[in-house]
Amino acid sequence: MKKLMVVLLALVIVPAAFAADTELAKKAAAEGKVSFYANMTAIQPIMDVFNAETGLDGKYTRISTSKFLPTVLTEFQAGKLMADVLQAPLPVMEMLKAQGVLAPYTSPVAAGYPDWTRQDDQIQTFGIEYVGLIYNKELVKPADVPKRYQDLADPKWKNKIVMANPAAHATTISWLVGLKENVFASEAEWMTFLEGLAANRPMLVKSFGPTPAPVESGEKAIAISMPKYIITKAPAPLDWARVEQPLLGTPRGMAISASAQNPNAAKLFMDFWLSKQAMGMLATDVGEYVLAPGVFPPIDGMDKAKVIPIRTLSDEEISQWGATFKKIFELP
Amino acid sequence: MAHKRSVLTPTLIAIVGFLTVCPVIMLVFGSFSTGLGAFGEFTLDKYIKAYTDPELFGIIVNTIIFVLGSSIVATGLALFLAYLNTRTDIPFKFLFRIISIIPMMIPHILFSVSWVLLLNPSNGLINLFLRQIPGLEDMAINIYSLPGMILVEGLLDLPIAYLILAPALASFDIALEESSKVCGSTTLRTLFRVTLPVLRPAILAAFILSLVRSLASFAVPSVIGMPGRIYVLATHIYQSVATGFAADFGKAAAIGMSVLATSVTLIYVYRYLTAEGEKYVTISSRGYRPTVIELKGAKYPLFGIVGILSMVLIVLPVLVLFYTSLVPYSMIPSAKAFSMMSWKHWIEVINDPISLLSLKNSVFLGVVGATLGVTLSIFVAYVIVKIRSHASGVLESLSFLSFSFPGIVIGVGFMWFFVRTPLYATIWSLLIGYIATYLPYGVRPLTSAFVQVHSHLEESSQVCGAGAFTTMRRIVIPLLIPGIVSGWILMATMFVRELTLSVVLSRPGTEVLAVQIFRFSEDGLWGQLSALGIMMIFISTALVLMATFVGIKFKPVEEGG
Repeated sequence: MKKLMVVLLALVIVPAAFAADTELAKKAAAEGKVSFYANMTAIQPIMDVFNAETGLDGKYTRISTSKFLPTVLTEFQAGKLMADVLQAPLPVMEMLKAQGVLAPYTSPVAAGYPDWTRQDDQIQTFGIEYVGLIYNKELVKPADVPKRYQDLADPKWKNKIVMANPAAHATTISWLVGLKENVFASEAEWMTFLEGLAANRPMLVKSFGPTPAPVESGEKAIAISMPKYIITKAPAPLDWARVEQPLLGTPRGMAISASAQNPNAAKLFMDFWLSKQAMGMLATDVGEYVLAPGVFPPIDGMDKAKVIPIRTLSDEEISQWGATFKKIFELP
Repeated sequence: MAHKRSVLTPTLIAIVGFLTVCPVIMLVFGSFSTGLGAFGEFTLDKYIKAYTDPELFGIIVNTIIFVLGSSIVATGLALFLAYLNTRTDIPFKFLFRIISIIPMMIPHILFSVSWVLLLNPSNGLINLFLRQIPGLEDMAINIYSLPGMILVEGLLDLPIAYLILAPALASFDIALEESSKVCGSTTLRTLFRVTLPVLRPAILAAFILSLVRSLASFAVPSVIGMPGRIYVLATHIYQSVATGFAADFGKAAAIGMSVLATSVTLIYVYRYLTAEGEKYVTISSRGYRPTVIELKGAKYPLFGIVGILSMVLIVLPVLVLFYTSLVPYSMIPSAKAFSMMSWKHWIEVINDPISLLSLKNSVFLGVVGATLGVTLSIFVAYVIVKIRSHASGVLESLSFLSFSFPGIVIGVGFMWFFVRTPLYATIWSLLIGYIATYLPYGVRPLTSAFVQVHSHLEESSQVCGAGAFTTMRRIVIPLLIPGIVSGWILMATMFVRELTLSVVLSRPGTEVLAVQIFRFSEDGLWGQLSALGIMMIFISTALVLMATFVGIKFKPVEEGG
């Protein structure tokens, strides 16, 4: 009942909050445009709705995560940061904050979001880049689907797993460390899991992007990947293992740039982005796990899943863990 | 004339130097600076960390095998195909020419993925086919191996080698071979004792360009090497950059410096090996016409071999690409797959305004960029070949500077440079970056073409009162048409599928094809990616046909005899 009340309140309040600030809308209209830097799939439809509803010219620049920080810092230091609004994994946003790239702004639309999504007055977390086990429904019998992460260490998965390189891919490294800190009872249990996983000789790829294709085609049976691919790759025979433990992921944050040329349009854009309308599109069209209350990706069972954010690891920690995983997975 | 020549070399050094040195200087600064930008406090830390890595030795060994292997495959195959196409009466020549340069038009990541679909040990199509044969039930050729990487990289570099060798073979002087035959040599002996030695500059140019290209290649090492746990310098650099959220391109540049040093050394080795330029001149003031060797009985068997090679090595991966663009997700061919085929991915791409804009931008960059690039290359190649001074050696090295840097690093070098100019985030930054980085694609075919034109021809023209420019326009350029066409094709097709610079420099309004393709690949959307990839092949084919047609139209040599 309490949950239902929150959902109803959010439904009434959130769109009103986005529409109400006509003063902001007027100032934004005077600026005429807004530039958004991010690295997410299928943002253009959201930009199109924003442009149609506000009459502004919203432009989206997609920059891959590995080039996000160098690009933004290069532009910022040269006094040419072209972004008004920035979106990236939380660790990247925190580094930008440390460099003075971000400006304070608390969007009224985020009022309904969980408290932990707003740990300072600059970065607003709106989603979790959630990681799960996705498998080929035609190759894996229901009885064989992992029920716990530990099941992946079973020798029956030998040469059947694909995952991003645990020695180099920051999100995978953070996820493995997150398992230790949030899921496994002891470090010894976690280490046994890692050794079992490594002994199964998973195929290692550059990032999450190339993980679903080998599972779709049947080259591999299961992937440590992102459940959102069930939506974006439909009708591929993919499903996710509903493990009894929580799903983990890196939070996605956003903020306004300290040197925004269109600061009011930036605020209006951030309000729109955090609204149920935009978050609903993100969840429905591309399967993202968003934090707007009551909005879930249309993946069976995901509304009941416990999805928790991973703590931000420093680059030094990521590098140290990467070296540890390199040894465990016997990588050259 | 001497004055004009003396002005030409420094002018070109200034132009080419400005284009290629600026991003490299930025990377040098970045490699010696603390922090993530180009400028910071001085430190040697990045070099110390990069070069004291205990794994570096094994990675260098892998890299040497990979780079040498793929360059031998590329050059050997290109020589075989170019010889048959330009010098013999093998049928369907035009078709083979197109096939030889198709890998140039395909985004490398797509070509690599096609080979994974064909030869992965679990359910690669070729492996599945071979397992049907009695006795081969356990067949599992593994593409995720060094030989697999060498094969695919060799095929991807084949067009570079082919487009350098073909013009050299096309302008080969019959007199040399005839003399050999008059002295009683067989065709085969003539080939090995006369033809190939005379072609040494072109063969070496093709080989060295393949070496440098495979050294900087990232698609094959990441798509095929990484899953096989085989790391080369390019993937090592990627890992050192990508581990963590704050990518340190300064450290990547520090590793890249050794690649750069290797490439520059190779250029000097090349110059040393071809120092006696006169030996390789084949077009002098005497008339020349390349001869066609009759294959007689060997005609159809050789045609069969080339046909099968082309089919397996090039047509099959392209067919896989087309198939992938029609099926809803990655699936091996089956009745179910065929029943699910549709044009969905094509329609999505055609209806996507950014894909259409990127198509337009890429065609503009391909046509305008290649034309400007080849024009600059003619002058650069002229200085390198005809004015063999110390300064021309400097110019030759400069032309390779940006090209030699690993792709993922040089893009950032250009960003660090352009952000300090008004060109940042405009299409002109892409145009300039492309020409600067891929200048060797124009310069190499033209130098190997220039080497074969005897200076007597220019001297005769000047004796008749023509100026340097008129001599260039009336005498030299017409003889260089095959080289110009090759250079233009290499540059245009490269610019149409260029990714490494574009992914860093492209902004809203300046999107290009490869960046769209890269986005699809990041999202794992192979269907849309393949559809756009095939459109890219169509555009490049149209550009190749256009260039070939113009080349044929303006080739006065055949008329003159």
